[in-house]
Amino acid sequence: MSEQPFVDQKFLEKLERLALRWQRSFPGLVGGHNPSRYPGFGLEFLDHRHFHHGDDLRAVNWRAYLRFEKLFLKIFRLEPHTPVRLLLDASASMATGRRPKFDYARTLAAALCYVGLVRLETILLLPFRAGLEGSCRCAGGRHRFAPVAEFLAQLRPEGRTDYLQTVRQFVSRYVDRGLAIVISDFLDEQPCEKALQHLADFGHELMLIQVWAEEDRAPPWEGRLELIDAESGARLELDFDREARERYTAAFDAHSRSLRRLALGNGGRYAGLSTAVGVEDAIFGPLAQVVGFE
Amino acid sequence: MFLLNLTPGQFLGLLAGGAALVLALYLLDRSRRRLVVATLRFWTAAREAPQARRRRRIQQWPSLLLQLAGLALLLAALGGLHWGSRGPAARDHVLILETSAWMAARTAQGTLMEQARALARSCVRALPARDRVMLVRADALATPATAFENDRAILERAIADSAPSATALRLQQALALAARTQRWRGGSPGEILFVGSGRVLAEESEDAFAPPANLRVITAGGPLENCGLRRIGLERSVRDPGQWNIFVVARNYGTAPQRRRIRLEFGGAPVGSEEFHLAPGAEQSLAFRLRTQAAGWLTARLEGRDALAADDEATLELPALRLLRVLVYSRQPELLRPLLAANPWVRAEYRSPAQYQPDAAADLVLVDGFRPPAPPRGPALWIEPPAAGSPVPVAGRARAGEPVRWRPDHPVTEGLGARDLRLEGADVYSPSAGDAVVAEVEQGPVVVARSGPPKVAVLGFHPGRSRMRYELAAPLLVANILRWIEPEVFRRWEAHAQSAGSVSAELPEGAQERVRVLTEDGRAVPFTQGERGVRFFWAEPGLIRVFAGAGEMVYSLSLPQVAEAQWTPPAAVRRGLPPAAAAETRAADLSPWLALGGALCILVEWLLYGASGLRVAGRGGLRWARLGLLSRGAAGAGGRGR
Repeated sequence: MSEQPFVDQKFLEKLERLALRWQRSFPGLVGGHNPSRYPGFGLEFLDHRHFHHGDDLRAVNWRAYLRFEKLFLKIFRLEPHTPVRLLLDASASMATGRRPKFDYARTLAAALCYVGLVRLETILLLPFRAGLEGSCRCAGGRHRFAPVAEFLAQLRPEGRTDYLQTVRQFVSRYVDRGLAIVISDFLDEQPCEKALQHLADFGHELMLIQVWAEEDRAPPWEGRLELIDAESGARLELDFDREARERYTAAFDAHSRSLRRLALGNGGRYAGLSTAVGVEDAIFGPLAQVVGFE
Repeated sequence: MFLLNLTPGQFLGLLAGGAALVLALYLLDRSRRRLVVATLRFWTAAREAPQARRRRRIQQWPSLLLQLAGLALLLAALGGLHWGSRGPAARDHVLILETSAWMAARTAQGTLMEQARALARSCVRALPARDRVMLVRADALATPATAFENDRAILERAIADSAPSATALRLQQALALAARTQRWRGGSPGEILFVGSGRVLAEESEDAFAPPANLRVITAGGPLENCGLRRIGLERSVRDPGQWNIFVVARNYGTAPQRRRIRLEFGGAPVGSEEFHLAPGAEQSLAFRLRTQAAGWLTARLEGRDALAADDEATLELPALRLLRVLVYSRQPELLRPLLAANPWVRAEYRSPAQYQPDAAADLVLVDGFRPPAPPRGPALWIEPPAAGSPVPVAGRARAGEPVRWRPDHPVTEGLGARDLRLEGADVYSPSAGDAVVAEVEQGPVVVARSGPPKVAVLGFHPGRSRMRYELAAPLLVANILRWIEPEVFRRWEAHAQSAGSVSAELPEGAQERVRVLTEDGRAVPFTQGERGVRFFWAEPGLIRVFAGAGEMVYSLSLPQVAEAQWTPPAAVRRGLPPAAAAETRAADLSPWLALGGALCILVEWLLYGASGLRVAGRGGLRWARLGLLSRGAAGAGGRGR
């Protein structure tokens, strides 16, 4: 695993003009730069209303009182804080491939966190394997990016993935709905669609980013192969040839289509990225189009 | 078509072994490959359909065939595959070219060496081109000049570089070396070709030896008339150091009697001449005397012309005569005069004690019976010094009639056999730590030697007084003391001019110890020591010094070692140049092309199927395209070249 910094300053500067966007409106707390139709605490004036007993005297319009000798209360536009949670797959399967998927995935995660920090969003970074691992809260502006980078740098791909258990923990721990970005290869022995559907059913907006290595989609080998599952250690022997490779690729593509269908069917978004495409090209290319950076 | 280096059986065996190895490696390389993948989900799906598929062990036939073809081609190249018919097997010949001193002899057709070189070249050209030849230069030593060579140019260069040396031919040794080399070489031995004059030393001609059966003798030149110097010896006369005794030995090597004159020159001036008559094969010794004290060059020259000019002249360097200057301060010089006059290497000057000077110019100062105001600054011999002025403290006086005991391990007592010598009285000394006692009586030392510097000897008695003056020990003791103080003056010196090679030096009596043999620049020469002398071998002209005890012998190895006898080969030995080889049917050597083909096969296999363990089938198209580009590039380069 490379110990080099996986994002550089030049790349971060390019990310400054991007912003995370979500499609749904979520009831949330004050904060963030996304407009809301709800009144509440904020900086932008929305309307006046009559003062009622118990209202905050700090919101009284004293100029209007001097003129009309009645108490009017200033109402501001609520700037809701939509919870953004980024689930990063840190299982052993992410370490396979000639260009490890995990490096690619955490670079993507770092880029998304930086975009959120620039826009004063609060992003909760959640690595997962068989369940949720220790989280990292990204908030407070771009100058708080260093702890995020350190957190990502110390992650190592290992262990098995259990999507169902991970989603179960997630929905029980984070009841307020929000944007759930999942960066993973979505390669598990058990289909992960059921778990992701469970996540959407709880009201979270899904943004699925599938990362694969070229060998994951079109294995280049031929002949007698003994295959070992990176996570479970299970073995499989087979003769692999061109026709088998075509069948393999077709199955992989069907899996990707299933993920895409699930995301779009639940009002979410899906992006499939090959590690052969550079991270920067992916962010400003397919990811910007599909995920919808502003 | 035939294989030069392998038999067909060997070729097939190696090919079968190599092919089995390649096949095993191929199957091993393409056997089950172990891979770690992210999931097995899709692999299982991929495996489901072709379950009944026949298992193929060899999946890339072209790769295996290319490897096997490359192996076969490289093996054929190593085996030396030739196209055409195979001629007779190549043979290994040894060409012995004589480079003895006699080869410098001149005939009407040039020197013998030039004739021998031409004959050797003819020999080499007459032999079949496939035959290998080793050139051995033969004089006192047999030295291989080349290995077994096919390349005639290398052999001809080595022949051209051969030149006469300073030593005589040792034919038996050269023939033995050639036979042994052919035996060790194996294969098909050819002939041993000897090209030279065949003149050998007398002892070798007397020793009837059986030459090898495959010997061929090609004789250069014929009988030549030559008379030359064999040896010159020089030594100083024992009685008269200013006179040199010169001995010259000359020999007639030819077949006709010779009347020649020898002339001696010293520093360019004639100092002697003598005419002599020599029968064929005879030696003549001539003696000359030369009186000189100066250093210079002595040249001995044989007048007249003959075949070999190198042995007609020899030069030796003579050193200057050096006498020991002794300054005697004595009130009774008549007692000392006979002792010093007995030694011809001593020039004594007598003065009274009143004329004493401590820094007088002399090699040795003799102080007889008085106390000088200051001791001499150089080496000195004190005789009965007064107790107050003695360099060695006087401990007392010995009684009259005391027998003297000599210390035999000191150089001063060398040759002194006066065991029953009794002194009438002598001073007894108390020597210090560095002093050596040479003689003593019961009361103590009476003769003491101090190594110095300067060297000092003290006698507690007068050797020219009383009964000792009639003893032989008296002049011998004084002579030994003078020799101990200045050994260089008394060193015995001989010079010899003779030929290089094996040298025997006769040592003087009693000089068998401390023998050293050195070259002119001080390098040690290996030698063997017998009862009477030493033997050493030095093949090059030069100056060799033999040090033995107090003597030095200088050997100027400037004369060539001319062999005395002509070797006549037995009748069974072939003579003359070998018959010229018939034109050979030349077979085309396919090895380079086969090696190129094998390399190409391996290169193509590597380009198509990869050199590493990871064989990426998906990049096959890319590899074919790379190969196509390479082919097009080569074709383009060829087209441009045309």
